[in-house]
Amino acid sequence: MTTDSEANTMDDASRAPGATDVGTSAATGSVDGNGARPSDGETLVRVQDLVKHFPIRGGLLGVSKLGAVRAVDGVSFDVRRGETLGLVGESGCGKTTLGKVILRLIPATSGEVYIKDRAMFKQSGNQMKAIREDMQVVFQDPYASLNPRMTVGEIVGEGPLVHGLSNRKKREALVRELLGRVGLNQSHIHRYPHEFSGGQRQRIGIARALALNPEFVVCDEPVSALDVSIQSQVLNLLDDLQKELGLTYLFIAHNLAVVEHISDRVGVMYLGKIVELADVDTLYRDPRHPYTVALLSAVPETDPRRRRKRLVLRGDVPSPVNPPSGCRFHTRCWLREQLGNPENCVTEEPPLRVLAPGQQAACHWAEKISPEAIQSAADRQPTVATAEPAPAA
Amino acid sequence: MTNAVDAGDVGLLELRDLKTHFFTQDGTVRAVDGVTFEIRDGQTLGVVGESGCGKSITAMSVLRLIERPGRIIGGEVLLRGKNVLNYSDQEMRDVRGNQISMIFQEPMTSLNPVYTCGDQIAEAVELHEAISRREAWGRAIEMLAQVGIPEPARRAKQYPHQMSGGMRQRVMIAMALSTNPELLIADEPTTALDVTIQAQILELMKALRERNKMAIMLITHDLGVVAEMADEVVVMYSGKVFERADALTIFEQPHNPYTRGLLASIPRLGDKRERLEVIRGVVPNPLNLPTGCLFKRRCPYAMPVCDTPPPVRQVKAGHISRCWLTPESEPPSIGADAPPEVAEAAAQELTVAGR
Amino acid sequence: MDRIEPASLAGVDTSARDALRSDTDEIDLIPVRTFWQLARQRFMQHRLAVIALFVLAILLVMATVIPLATGIQYRLSDLRLINDGPSLTAPLGYDEVGTNIFIRLAKGTQSSLIIGGAAVLIIVGIGTFVGAISGYAGGWIDNVLMRMVDVVLSLPVLFIILMIVSFFGVGDIRVVIIAIGITGWTLAARLIRAEFLTLREADFVQAARALGAGHRRIILRHILPSAMAPLVVAAALGVADSVVTEAALSFLGYGISPPDASLGNMLNKVRIYFFSAPERILYPSVVLVLIVLCASFLGDGIRDALDPRQRIASK
Repeated sequence: MTTDSEANTMDDASRAPGATDVGTSAATGSVDGNGARPSDGETLVRVQDLVKHFPIRGGLLGVSKLGAVRAVDGVSFDVRRGETLGLVGESGCGKTTLGKVILRLIPATSGEVYIKDRAMFKQSGNQMKAIREDMQVVFQDPYASLNPRMTVGEIVGEGPLVHGLSNRKKREALVRELLGRVGLNQSHIHRYPHEFSGGQRQRIGIARALALNPEFVVCDEPVSALDVSIQSQVLNLLDDLQKELGLTYLFIAHNLAVVEHISDRVGVMYLGKIVELADVDTLYRDPRHPYTVALLSAVPETDPRRRRKRLVLRGDVPSPVNPPSGCRFHTRCWLREQLGNPENCVTEEPPLRVLAPGQQAACHWAEKISPEAIQSAADRQPTVATAEPAPAA
Repeated sequence: MTNAVDAGDVGLLELRDLKTHFFTQDGTVRAVDGVTFEIRDGQTLGVVGESGCGKSITAMSVLRLIERPGRIIGGEVLLRGKNVLNYSDQEMRDVRGNQISMIFQEPMTSLNPVYTCGDQIAEAVELHEAISRREAWGRAIEMLAQVGIPEPARRAKQYPHQMSGGMRQRVMIAMALSTNPELLIADEPTTALDVTIQAQILELMKALRERNKMAIMLITHDLGVVAEMADEVVVMYSGKVFERADALTIFEQPHNPYTRGLLASIPRLGDKRERLEVIRGVVPNPLNLPTGCLFKRRCPYAMPVCDTPPPVRQVKAGHISRCWLTPESEPPSIGADAPPEVAEAAAQELTVAGR
Repeated sequence: MDRIEPASLAGVDTSARDALRSDTDEIDLIPVRTFWQLARQRFMQHRLAVIALFVLAILLVMATVIPLATGIQYRLSDLRLINDGPSLTAPLGYDEVGTNIFIRLAKGTQSSLIIGGAAVLIIVGIGTFVGAISGYAGGWIDNVLMRMVDVVLSLPVLFIILMIVSFFGVGDIRVVIIAIGITGWTLAARLIRAEFLTLREADFVQAARALGAGHRRIILRHILPSAMAPLVVAAALGVADSVVTEAALSFLGYGISPPDASLGNMLNKVRIYFFSAPERILYPSVVLVLIVLCASFLGDGIRDALDPRQRIASK
């Protein structure tokens, strides 16, 4: 497999000492909704060596394994109580799969996720159901994520119903409360989802996630399907709810500006691995992985005065069925090219290592990244960047 | 950027009061309702707005690609001074793909899956030029090389599904540019692409724009893409042009409250705001538009006079805005409490003055 | 369950949210309606389906009332009335053995509708069961079940039905129903499986799983209602198929045989009048075609009516 056990030990540097304190987390687990849980750096969710391979099957009965899509390939990180951990990457980097595996919506190939120090993948059906009260999810597509045949009241009230709140009156009162909380009109409880606009439907989805009073919410691209003027409404709402209810978010998105706005720490994914993980300011100001640098450089600025020569990556993301050897980014890496194609990029997989307090990156040559290096790489590229790296000369 | 248009100068494309309506079972949707703007040679015009604002329908109207229940019911589309709305179908086909080319958001659906990419480009060339198949194929390979596709001779023999999204968009661009159009209409060309691939395509479009000296009508909802590419920007809302100015003005001194709201509501890189500004409410239902200003229900500056359709004001040379606010962004001098008749009269006057 | 008591909003600045709330006002213009009210409205929009429902209702009434009122008249022959022309009590005249054609037709329609209705229950029942398990479970279970479907599909259906009928009793309506039912469920299974396969991955189903909902609830509350479209289509096709299959069986003499009446055996008996009295062929054929067409149109109508995303045209 991978060398990510190393990455895990490296992670300790950024982990707060309270991580293994079971007593504390159990005590704070039942905080009433109003009091914000302190963001004391205590670990709420720990992801350890998580691997998810989707087998490609074939053969007579479709049982022989031809290969595997290595969607998530050895990922470890902690999510601290009360924080928002952003997760960015391009399509196919495995970020959505990672979210689903963490929620145990799809089974992991290996690895473990701990929520409040309970190993999730070892839980039985009933224990898992109890854990589901602690973690919820908000999906990307507000049209696909609500059952079109259920009313708003049934959708939002389903969680409490499943978890034993069978009294209809009480459930309705709870739903009304939640609708108010997400800025929806309480009288719309008997409406069907298709009567609402995209932003409103997304807020219904948020209300459903909050109905079980979870501590941890995975937000999988919650605003990318929404119109520009609606995105900020939902982002502000998520912000408010986090403050009021002390929520912890894992915020998965491809929009770097949105992630910067909402996150406290950010992880960057590439081909099923986390290549950089740092505090938001550090990551955006001083990225330490050449891929992060390129991602940031690729974002168009909303300022016509700052049109600049950007660092454009060549080619496409390689297939996750056959990821490149060594560092997975080496086929597109501008830094490697600048350094004269050092050997170890191809042969040796770089571990996620601590480069500064609160910053880890998986690059052998992370120290070589400087504004000058980035500028010279941007200046050296041809006017028309080719779609694929030129064959090795 | 010169703003004074010489009277004798015939621009590349000029839209005058274009109206495209859709006559649906539930009522009339005024998808494009009196759109006026022009594109000069070599200029890149960004058309921005949220979904449903009519930006794509405007582009389709230029090429007369509107299908039932939609119909262009008024206005003019002047291509080099000639109204294409009066062209015969044959003349129109000559314009499409020749003088004006178009690329779409999802290249997979606009490429034919059963032909190779080379075939499709060669066919586009053959349609508009009298050249042999062999020459057309040669041109196809040349075009693929121009858009930065490595090993073009081999790639030309591949089918669309054998390529990635970014590559397909390059093939689309190669096809669109193969006939040397004067205007390229790009409808959300990078929306379906990842950010690093988007950067590639934007750089490519910039380079080709320089090389071919063509004009681009760039339709997008992404203000970043507009800031990156456009010389001039048209902001649309509910089928109407709300503001038009050069890119710097739009981003630095927007006049219209909608443009301001839009710019304030997007998070930007390096943005340290705790909270984002919000445009409250939602885009109005196209079947049930408010009277007066279409933005008034969401506008922080809304005042009684907004119940009357706002004038198109000239804020400064080359900068127009559809709003009651004066160029100094103050409420109009007739006062907020003016009775509707007064406002009506003032509106008449201001509209004339504004034009 | 006290954990999910609502937290109070007291002392929280909700001004931003109150502003959000204003944008839902437009919804208030549309009156609140229940699911079934909406379904009825959508159904009524479907003109062909409404007509089909009307025609089927007439056929159903005829097929119930007339045999009830006339008792065993459909099998009585009166030698004096052989090939007699139409009259008030026999609007379609009498056949070659002196039986009232109208009454016989009503009885034949009755057997066809019974067989169609009962067989379709078996078809949809088995089809949904197999399709749902296959699509929901996926993996090797899906593979095994679908290969089984392939096997059933590859068999010559009419031949199998003939075999079953001749083994277990020619002319027994129950055997015919079961024979049609257990050979005809494959299409339903495939349609349902395909729908389950996609719906299983749908975001709203994932959300329900994340809430902790069990398989039962997910299948019954989330997937099955959304899989109504293929279910209804399968049912409509099933009705049409079984009615036609029964007619074919009876025509070949393996289904319901005289003196019991069925559209198929009526067709068989009148084929010799192809040139002399073609209208006699027309009567059972028209009823047969009407049942098949109406089932299909009604299916379309019900499918659209149950889809909440279908728009309701404003008045």
